[in-house]
Amino acid sequence: MKRLFAALLAGLALLSLPAAAGAIEIKQVTTPLGIKAWLVEDKSTPVVALSFSFVGGTASDPAGLSGATDLMANLLTDGAGPLNAQAFRQRQEDAAASIGFNASLDRVSGSLRVLSANRDEGFELLRLAMVEPRFDVAMVDQRRAQTIASLNQAAQRPASVAGRTLMATLFAGHPYAADPEGTREDLAKATPDLLKKRAAAVLLRNGLTVAAVGDISEAELARQIDRAFGSLPTGTPPALPPQWVPPTKPRTVVVERSVPQSAALMALPGIPRDDPDWYAALVMNHVLGGGGQQSRLFNEVREKRGLAYSVSSGLRTYKRAALLIISTGSANERVAEALRVIKASMARLRTEGITEQELSDAKTYLAGALALSLDSSGSIANLLHSMQVDGLSPDHLTRRGALIAAVKLEDVQKMARRLLRDDALTTVVVGKPVGVTSEP
Amino acid sequence: MPNGLQAIVLPSRRAPIVTQVVVYKVGSADETFGKTGAAHFLEHMMFKGTDKVPGGEFSRIVSRNGGRDNAYTGFDATGYHQTIAAERLELIMRMEADRMTGIRISDREIVPERQVILEERRMRTDNVPSALLDEAVREQLYGRHKPYAMPIVGYPDDIKKLSVNDLSTFYRRHYAPNNAVLIVAGDTTTEAVRKLAEKYYGPIASRKTEPRRRPSKGGPNLPQKVIRADARVVEPRWSRLWLAPSYRTGETRHAYALQVLARLFGGSETSRLWRALVVDGKVGLSAWASYSPASLGLTSFDVGVHPAPTRSMADVEKAVTTEMKRLLDGGVKPEEVERAQNQLLAGAIYAQDSLASGPRIYGTMLSTGGTVADVDAWPQRIAAVTPAEIQAAAEYVWRDDGAVTAMLTPAEGSR
Repeated sequence: MKRLFAALLAGLALLSLPAAAGAIEIKQVTTPLGIKAWLVEDKSTPVVALSFSFVGGTASDPAGLSGATDLMANLLTDGAGPLNAQAFRQRQEDAAASIGFNASLDRVSGSLRVLSANRDEGFELLRLAMVEPRFDVAMVDQRRAQTIASLNQAAQRPASVAGRTLMATLFAGHPYAADPEGTREDLAKATPDLLKKRAAAVLLRNGLTVAAVGDISEAELARQIDRAFGSLPTGTPPALPPQWVPPTKPRTVVVERSVPQSAALMALPGIPRDDPDWYAALVMNHVLGGGGQQSRLFNEVREKRGLAYSVSSGLRTYKRAALLIISTGSANERVAEALRVIKASMARLRTEGITEQELSDAKTYLAGALALSLDSSGSIANLLHSMQVDGLSPDHLTRRGALIAAVKLEDVQKMARRLLRDDALTTVVVGKPVGVTSEP
Repeated sequence: MPNGLQAIVLPSRRAPIVTQVVVYKVGSADETFGKTGAAHFLEHMMFKGTDKVPGGEFSRIVSRNGGRDNAYTGFDATGYHQTIAAERLELIMRMEADRMTGIRISDREIVPERQVILEERRMRTDNVPSALLDEAVREQLYGRHKPYAMPIVGYPDDIKKLSVNDLSTFYRRHYAPNNAVLIVAGDTTTEAVRKLAEKYYGPIASRKTEPRRRPSKGGPNLPQKVIRADARVVEPRWSRLWLAPSYRTGETRHAYALQVLARLFGGSETSRLWRALVVDGKVGLSAWASYSPASLGLTSFDVGVHPAPTRSMADVEKAVTTEMKRLLDGGVKPEEVERAQNQLLAGAIYAQDSLASGPRIYGTMLSTGGTVADVDAWPQRIAAVTPAEIQAAAEYVWRDDGAVTAMLTPAEGSR
């Protein structure tokens, strides 16, 4: 304890020295046990950040056990091996390490952040969490109660209700429709045994993707990765759900809530990440409602008419589905007009395409924006991790500029005609909207 | 700089990007009742035009140069920030300097923006029962119509009435180089920033600004209890806020001990409150304590609990009071103090791993009357806090006559 304390104070003094220069250079590391990882070695801060994931997310929850994967992921850091939850957390705090897991539809993801001087302890705790999680009954009960409370809280927030309703509507009959956090009824069935089985089904060495950033050499990273992940079993990762079949009819769902402002979401079938025209879609989305305060939706809905504070669009990709989602929030009396303006903006983009100026502005933004996310060791590790999940090569960061530059006006126009289709539009409005009603 | 602008450079060559932040030493606490929301409304208008950069173009220019920008308004400060490729630093420094005094505010732009701000208020406050409760709690804690009680976004009636003249006056009165802090972080050098700052911010004349005033007392009706029963609420919340000294106002000698106290009492899942209420007592689903000393006026020390499903507000209150009494009677152990100090110091190291953290920390400190030396001495001052000082700080702050107890509950019969 005393030693760490002194080291922390000394570390702070050293850090005021200028950091070493260095662009992002991605090294590919293969460990003695054969685990592959990407690394950006960066000695500018005494920190190591790890970002990793396993194939198999909440969409692989067994039937009638929604929420099991998410609950399992939350409980991995609630006691492992000889350490109960309090002792495990205390060890993390004493090493100034933080370990976290979470589940998305397709993956269980994890992260480790530790001072490089304490990396042995950090990676050992990570190993314990994955290889010897305890799932003590008291902790299962505590996290279950917190999850149910979190579901209740989400049910209070119009924007959360809109998001949940949208997924349930779009993916009705598909595993992506279920709430990743589960339902109260299903959560009641989650026992320590069942959660152990979930962990064993998902935490497999051959379903693993790893990225690391920070003050650590290749050889040392290889050693630490083998320590943390080397004793995980191999096996067959959970199967992916079937391919989603997008809706072919427009649909509007209104959920009544007593709030002054309606939350609205509009969704269209999107485009998979590996589509050859991905960058045309990225440009199109940027012009429509991406980025920040420059988009057409921002201009039409907010700047010109003051219909909303927040309005934006984004591309979302999953393993078995892809979406284009527009979100906004507008007073109950004005939300119908906001939706009309958004639809008119989509129609104009579809029929007229974008201008040369918009194309070149979007390109310079998209080319530069990636570097803006290289803010911390953790965010760089997340980028390296998602590049691997998306099937990109390490030299993608240098090739990306050319891919964006190659997008032509007609590519964007074609993409607008492909994506911005009124006949596939699903709209969800939560509030007391005036002039918006549910349509089948 | 000669015109009074304070400038700080935080070089980091990790990525080829820079962040510029300009923080003005003015916030919603500098408003007068009847004109609440002026600081925030003006922040929105800062994205409209100057003679050199037409209305709405500021963000478009940043974006088409591969950057991102935004702004925030707080009780004591208003900040504008951009992150962009390192070689575009001159562009954003030129534009930020230009709008320090060059914004033209007109009715044409105020009219739709007023609606935008009312929508922002609906989204953040009127749609959110806990935010409405927080507003009512601050009115009791600091006194109605007083700084920190008036909401940052403003009251709807005031937002509807603010005029071009109100905003222009506020702008002229508070936006000046001698009332601002410039922070540039990232892939640049002190010399490069100095040159650009002299070129663009240097020529802007300083202006007389009024001293900022904050009350040294809280609301007149303490202690107080505020209950919001709302049909939209499903999950209840219990919290208690005590008026507390900040780095600048009140018994400031407690400011560092209170940070360690907040950490060990309710700052993590190994804290006293969490262990007693969540793990052992099963009274709460979660429990927390927080304290932010970077405030020009008084601040608050907050404790909160999310009650477990079958437990009442009275159960929660009793459990919290028991834990407080245990600390006041028995003191704190040296090893738990050291643990809390370690956690706070580690947080400071991790803050240096993020390009966004440095500007935030310096910006907050300097806009609330602190200095660069205060930021740099923070680790030593936290490390120097003793168990006895923590107990004394708890005794000082946890006084019944300085507290507001707040309860958020489902409306009668709505559950």
